[in-house]
Amino acid sequence: MIHVSGLTKQFGDLAAVRDLSFQVDRGEVYALLGANGAGKTTALRCIATLLRPTGGRVEVEGWSTSSTPIEVRRRIAFLATSTGLYERLTPRELVTYFGRLQGMDDASLEARVDAVVDLFALGEFQHRLCGQLSHGQRQRVSLARVLVHDPPVLILDEPTLGLDLVSGGAIHRFIQRERDRGKAVLFSSHRMEAVELLADRVGVMDEGRLVAEGTVADLVSGVGASSLAQAFLRLVGAEEGVAP
Amino acid sequence: MSAWWFVFRKELRETLRDRRTLLVMLAVPVLLYPVLMVASEQLLLFGMRQLDEEAAPVAVLGDAPSDLLWILDSIPTLRVVPPPAVGGSAPRSTMEESIREALTEGSVAAVVVLEGPTDGFGSREVRVYYSDASDRSRRGRSELMGAVDLWGGRLLEERLRVQGLPRSFVVPVAVADTSLALPEEVGGYALGRMLPMLLIVITLLGTFYPAIDLAAGEKERGTLEALLTTPVPPGAVVTGKFVTVALVGVVAAALNLLSMLLTFRTGLFRLAAEAGMVAAIAPATVALIFLTLIPLAVLFGALFLGISVRTASFKEAQNSLTPVYMLVMIPALLPVFPGIDLTPLLAVTPVAGVALFFRDLMSGVADPLMGAVVLVSSGVYAVLALRFAARNFGREDVLFPASRAPRSRRRPRGLGPVAALVNASGSGIPGERAAAGFIAVVAVLFFYGGRPLQIGFGETGILLSEWLLLALPALLFVRVGRFDAYSTLRLGRPSPRALAGALALVLGCMPIAWGIAWLQSFLFPVPWELLEGLEELVTADSATRLAWLLALLALTPAVCEELVFRGVLLGGTTSLSPRRAILLNGLVFGAFHLSFETAIRFLPTAWLGVVIAYAVWRSGSLWAGVLIHFVNNGTVVILASTPALRDLFADPQAPPPWWTMPAAVAFLLVGYRILEDLPAPVDIRTAFDGGAEAPPPLDP
Ligand SMILES: Nc1ncnc2c1ncn2[C@@H]1O[C@H](COP(=O)(O)OP(=O)(O)O)[C@@H](O)[C@H]1O
Ligand SMILES: [Mg+2]
Repeated sequence: MIHVSGLTKQFGDLAAVRDLSFQVDRGEVYALLGANGAGKTTALRCIATLLRPTGGRVEVEGWSTSSTPIEVRRRIAFLATSTGLYERLTPRELVTYFGRLQGMDDASLEARVDAVVDLFALGEFQHRLCGQLSHGQRQRVSLARVLVHDPPVLILDEPTLGLDLVSGGAIHRFIQRERDRGKAVLFSSHRMEAVELLADRVGVMDEGRLVAEGTVADLVSGVGASSLAQAFLRLVGAEEGVAP
Repeated sequence: MSAWWFVFRKELRETLRDRRTLLVMLAVPVLLYPVLMVASEQLLLFGMRQLDEEAAPVAVLGDAPSDLLWILDSIPTLRVVPPPAVGGSAPRSTMEESIREALTEGSVAAVVVLEGPTDGFGSREVRVYYSDASDRSRRGRSELMGAVDLWGGRLLEERLRVQGLPRSFVVPVAVADTSLALPEEVGGYALGRMLPMLLIVITLLGTFYPAIDLAAGEKERGTLEALLTTPVPPGAVVTGKFVTVALVGVVAAALNLLSMLLTFRTGLFRLAAEAGMVAAIAPATVALIFLTLIPLAVLFGALFLGISVRTASFKEAQNSLTPVYMLVMIPALLPVFPGIDLTPLLAVTPVAGVALFFRDLMSGVADPLMGAVVLVSSGVYAVLALRFAARNFGREDVLFPASRAPRSRRRPRGLGPVAALVNASGSGIPGERAAAGFIAVVAVLFFYGGRPLQIGFGETGILLSEWLLLALPALLFVRVGRFDAYSTLRLGRPSPRALAGALALVLGCMPIAWGIAWLQSFLFPVPWELLEGLEELVTADSATRLAWLLALLALTPAVCEELVFRGVLLGGTTSLSPRRAILLNGLVFGAFHLSFETAIRFLPTAWLGVVIAYAVWRSGSLWAGVLIHFVNNGTVVILASTPALRDLFADPQAPPPWWTMPAAVAFLLVGYRILEDLPAPVDIRTAFDGGAEAPPPLDP
């Protein structure tokens, strides 16, 4: 599970994330919904130990990101927006490499690599160089790469960005299955459909702050809107005629 | 196995699949040397043969004796052709002009002109005309000279015979010189000239692309985040990457060395054999060279990685690394020049020490002590470079910088094309680039304009160069770029306390500068002639003269140089941290006062620059700098121009009196205290922009 309290991240004069607090439990999918520049990526990077928070606390499975970042990293899969691959490695080599970096021993690694190759259907191109793969194939490889150690917490930054419906759908199914396996899933998005479809709970971010939180239904009825999109626009004060 | 090992193995595997790296590492050494050597030899032989084939056309002017003509005819590499048409009594210049034409058009390769009689024991005057700009003509000349010498020899024989003298009469001393160097030594000397540079450059090249690929490439492709969310400490990541890069550098250099030695072994290098040299290096030497290459490769690898990780893309990394690459080439070239000894100072100079040590190793004259110094200092630099790389890999602002908004190509509103050239962002304060460009232009102006002015017009020239080449460009720069002069140049009035602090600082600064000058006189020779010249310049014999000297040598630089350095340069570097901006300011100020003869001025001047920059930054007023600069220069003028005082400091090589040191430290501390107690310095950038971009206040 993920526990965020009072998280603040300052870049010079700019507060990209301000006093952000929320919690994601096991078996739950939590979505951070916000426009571009709202601070979603920054928040996820802080949780994934890539950035040091300016203030506040983040705990993952009870481990603090600031005092025990290595322990946190053992327990998370972080899928960044830029899902680049090493062009001159094959998917199989790539996944094996990440397994080794996760400290897996040879025996369990071999079996686990086979498992994720099956899970993400990489078999057909597992021995080709990553530089030659299509966009959808690359997305699957990059998921396989971060999940090789089967961690309890998944952090996905805009996981369906730039994907077609079919590939996006595959990711959706994957997220649901992981939730059902008892994992805590946190993902960010600026698209309503993904959030409506997947999230058990939603946090709406605007200018670095959490402006509302709840299930999709809660959010919609809370502001008397007819759809999540409308609710969102009202919450961030962007709807016409609504004063900020 | 620890994590760095996995990183290393993966990076190595990927690197070995990179065609560009393989090319540099394998193909270049394996193919380049044999090909290069064979080609150059063939080219040389070919050229020689072609020149030899044709008999050089030569012409004779004047009445040539028959025996000379006979000699000319009997030499197969010469062919006598009709001389260019020259009027019999034409003046010499006309004749030379027509010979020149004939040489240029190629109808003759050389012309011999005979004048005067041959009788008696006088010398016959013979002139040979040729063109030094043509290989063919130079060969014609040497053939012709040979023929003339032969003829002269015959005439001499004849004279000796007539006088009944032996030949030894004209050869009172018979000299023969013999080089006792072994062929290996001659070869080692020749190799030592060229090989160090090649080895260093290949090491450099070997690390160049992998360093870019492993750091900037990881950022450009967007693989860094996945890597850094694995439970591997950044140190292990850097280590794995850096070992790969350094290894590629070492292997490239080693293969290179090997290929070169093998090429020599095969005897392809026939010219060398003809020149009496054996190009071979003892195995122990090869091992030592190899050993020294390791810290060098570590240094390059770590340095390049550290720089590369700060950039966002291959292209940017390439642009940032290329100047470093060029810079490293300069010390690597040292062994090519004759007469440069491996002194302790050079031994601890990065790259230069290694290059010269390689040379000495190859020519078999290496000093083990110097070798140790080179190895240890290279090791130290390598460790420093590694720490630099590791630090950069641990910095989140380096790893995840703000994604840069595409820079608008349009020129800022309201600025004309010229202004936009100087002021690309249209802001009120110049940026680093504009300031750097300005300093570069001023440096060039001053270098080419300042000296002629000072030489041509003496003291007036100094005055002119300061005002016209420093102050005026600074003001023009601010004006043309439409910068805010008041903020950029910090023209605001200083508080009396700030001035008091500045005064205390300069009193402390001067003895320290003297101390620095004295200390470094152990390292660099002091050009006394130059200093004496300076002293002459500043001797004042009357009060008016002293006033003029103060205006010329203290007030003028205090205003003009402050405008440039603490005005535009300090104003343009506010995006750096204050500490860096101040240090940079001192270094640039010192470098600016650097000329070929006065390298000694660098450190003391840089120190003065740092002190002034600090005072100006802390007080927020350029006038504090003007004050310090004026007092510093004025003191020197008064001390040097007043004979009574000058005797106090008669020996310029003496250390400063010991009591000045504690006094100096005390003054510095007092000045620092006073300035630190002033209200915090205003950031001129935000002050100017009026805080328009300040974030909205945080909610309670
Ligand atoms: N490394 C950085 N340095 C400075 N500003 C940054 C950096 N990363 C993000 N920002 C700024 O922080 C704000 C939030 O960005 P981000 O977290 O990427 O938003 P989102 O992912 O919601 O689109 C933006 O204004 C962005 O420009
Ligand atoms: Mg984002």
